[in-house]
Amino acid sequence: MPQSNTVRILDGSTFVVSEDTGDIEATPSEPTGMFSLDTRFLSRWVLTINGERLNTLSYDDLQYYEARFFLVPGMATHYVDAKLSIVRKRAVGGSFHEQVTILNHDEKPVDLEVRMDVDSDFADLFQVKDEIVNKKGEKYAEAEADRLRLGYHRGNFRRETIISCSRTARYDRNGFAFTVHLEPNEQWSTEIDVRTSAIGPGGRDLRMGLRAHGTERLALQQDLQAWIAAAPKLNCEAEHLARTYQRSLVDLAALRFSPLSLGGSALPAAGLPWFMTMFGRDSILTCLQVLPFVPELSKTTLRILASLQGTRFDDFRDEDPGRILHEMRYGETAAFEEQPHSPYYGSVDATPLFVVLLDEYERWSGDVSLVRELEQECRAALRWIDDYADLVGNGYIWYERRNTDTGLENQCWKDSWDSISYRDGTLLPFPRATCEVQGYAYDAKVRAARLAREYWGDPEYADHLELQAAQLKERFNRDWWVDDGQFYALALDPDGGRAEVLSSNIGHLLWSGIVDHDRAERIAEHLVGPRLFSGWGVRTLAEGEVRYNPIGYHNGTIWPFDNSFIAWGLRRYGFAEEAATIANGIIDAARYFDGRLPEAFGGYQRELTKFPVEYPTACSPQAWSTGTPMLLLRTMLGIEPHEGHLSVEPSLPSGMGRIEVLDIPGRWGKVDAFARGRLDLKTLPD
Amino acid sequence: MPDATTRFFEDLNRRGYEPLLVKTSGTIRFDLREGPRTSHWTVAIDRGRLRVSHEDQEADTVIGISPALFEELAAGRSHGIAAILRGDMTVSGDPRLVVQVERLFPGPPTSQGPRRHVQREAR
Repeated sequence: MPQSNTVRILDGSTFVVSEDTGDIEATPSEPTGMFSLDTRFLSRWVLTINGERLNTLSYDDLQYYEARFFLVPGMATHYVDAKLSIVRKRAVGGSFHEQVTILNHDEKPVDLEVRMDVDSDFADLFQVKDEIVNKKGEKYAEAEADRLRLGYHRGNFRRETIISCSRTARYDRNGFAFTVHLEPNEQWSTEIDVRTSAIGPGGRDLRMGLRAHGTERLALQQDLQAWIAAAPKLNCEAEHLARTYQRSLVDLAALRFSPLSLGGSALPAAGLPWFMTMFGRDSILTCLQVLPFVPELSKTTLRILASLQGTRFDDFRDEDPGRILHEMRYGETAAFEEQPHSPYYGSVDATPLFVVLLDEYERWSGDVSLVRELEQECRAALRWIDDYADLVGNGYIWYERRNTDTGLENQCWKDSWDSISYRDGTLLPFPRATCEVQGYAYDAKVRAARLAREYWGDPEYADHLELQAAQLKERFNRDWWVDDGQFYALALDPDGGRAEVLSSNIGHLLWSGIVDHDRAERIAEHLVGPRLFSGWGVRTLAEGEVRYNPIGYHNGTIWPFDNSFIAWGLRRYGFAEEAATIANGIIDAARYFDGRLPEAFGGYQRELTKFPVEYPTACSPQAWSTGTPMLLLRTMLGIEPHEGHLSVEPSLPSGMGRIEVLDIPGRWGKVDAFARGRLDLKTLPD
Repeated sequence: MPDATTRFFEDLNRRGYEPLLVKTSGTIRFDLREGPRTSHWTVAIDRGRLRVSHEDQEADTVIGISPALFEELAAGRSHGIAAILRGDMTVSGDPRLVVQVERLFPGPPTSQGPRRHVQREAR
């Protein structure tokens, strides 16, 4: 497994990342700990017996919310002759709960000093991410008779970690300890409860008990079972596909996140560990991927994003009226406005994608009432595209951050600093416009026209949007086509210059439908051609470009989510075999990650490495990687909603064998889709 | 010249209707506390229709805040959600109403909105 040896368990925005012993020893470069509300509540959690650290025999992450560690005293040697074994079993669900059990295998009694060292730095997740923990408030620790209280306050901002045990313990400011006597074959056990609190001056917790599901372990278990039971069943001959689907379903359940303000409804958070919060772009794209399988996520996501749609100009938050948020955070840096995420609006794709998701959701669900409910927000989003996003005045969506201190430079999905360059490698000046966002705007207008005509009773607005869309398509195909390369430029600069580099973004253009039909074949050829396609998937930037680097975050790595939308786009234009080639490569890659696709992996040629090389600091699980297998299934099965029924037009690689997806929910009730792999993918390297 | 707080509520009352709240119904009360003195403003929302009173009335959501901070919010110099996260503004009852009503506060007076680019050459 190309994974570091950390063990992660999570439930919504609460998660614990530890070493494989269960210990936590956070350092600036070691982002382990217990986190909730974007704050680290435990930075040290180290178990010793008679002063000795423990060594791992094995560990299991049983479910996303629970893990178990089997340990013996002493450090690793070739030969472990332990007279004691220790089992740590832990779960998260609102609070963090650990059970420690010690078994004496010796024929003699033993006396043990069992100790847990505990500390918290109350670091904001942003500080952990940037490796700067520089606290402006004060820490405190209070050892009480029955608990240890660790706290931090800065003005009225207060966060506490409260630790208590089922057995009597000796608490001190640095942890707690037990003296244990064990007869031969006797065992000892204690339950440890770690609660987090975010208390305001009124003594009320910020979270006020708002959750999508119960926080008890049993409730979590029942919730997960119900979640899996409600989703379509996948039966297939390809075992790795079945495992990947199952893994995705469970990870998606784990990533459900209930924002504080919304009465307990859930949407997909973006990913562990840095992004356990709502993101406009990530949440929408994930919902689009999983619509055929888990449609209800779309409804809550749309409602939540609508309720936080921008209403005013706020340069610090890059907020405009009608704009859909980029990211919401709950930690200290957001609270004290050292970071703008309360929420931050600096993304240009979330707003058109919001409209796209509403239309796609209706086509599957037939939920007309939501389309009517969100009419005002859709119109505001479309006005934002025309009024506030066109910074150059030539009919495109542009971006340039107004918060030059902590805002995002690149407000498209490829948001790293060096992702948008000219052919010679120099970066573009601002404002910038990237190609895929123009596609989303086109798609949003086309789809909104349908909604306006069919459900909002406004055919004039529909005509207006269709005319705008047609003009945008014509303009785009004139201004962005790179003749000497036969592809669309990645981006434009404000003075008419173009980033004439070959990138994966052109695949999104197919998905949006903005590509002229006579050019689609050239785009399809590029996507499965040697410069972009590695054998596993489509690289973010083509081999041969100046900034190409197989492990460049947005300059050469392969992003599974990106590939899923590219495959969908290929299918939309009739390139079923090319779509299946990409789907096959990505699903093959999932084998090497135990069915859990990472955020990104290296762009190395498939024959060169034989296995996909995980990008070093990739997030996992990550929502849109988790959604990828579902969108690839949709693409390969060719399932599309048509009025009252679901059409199925499979195009499956022969290696996939037979696939059946049972109980696909939608306006048709529930239907099944069957397919058999018949496509011989000649272009594939193996 | 009335303060920004009074202007904010009087303006809401005068408007009588706020399209941003067309899907919202409920009553929110602001308790502006300073020492032993608390001044109350209650806003009743019925699918966008607004009724404001300078009285202590039963509410679905109660906000606790200092008059000074509310003045900052009403003038756009402070931000409601950040204030809640900081613990400077407390919420009891239905938090959804706060998020909806928070959107009615003005943006910072210094914010200028999107900056149009002036092209160097004609296309």
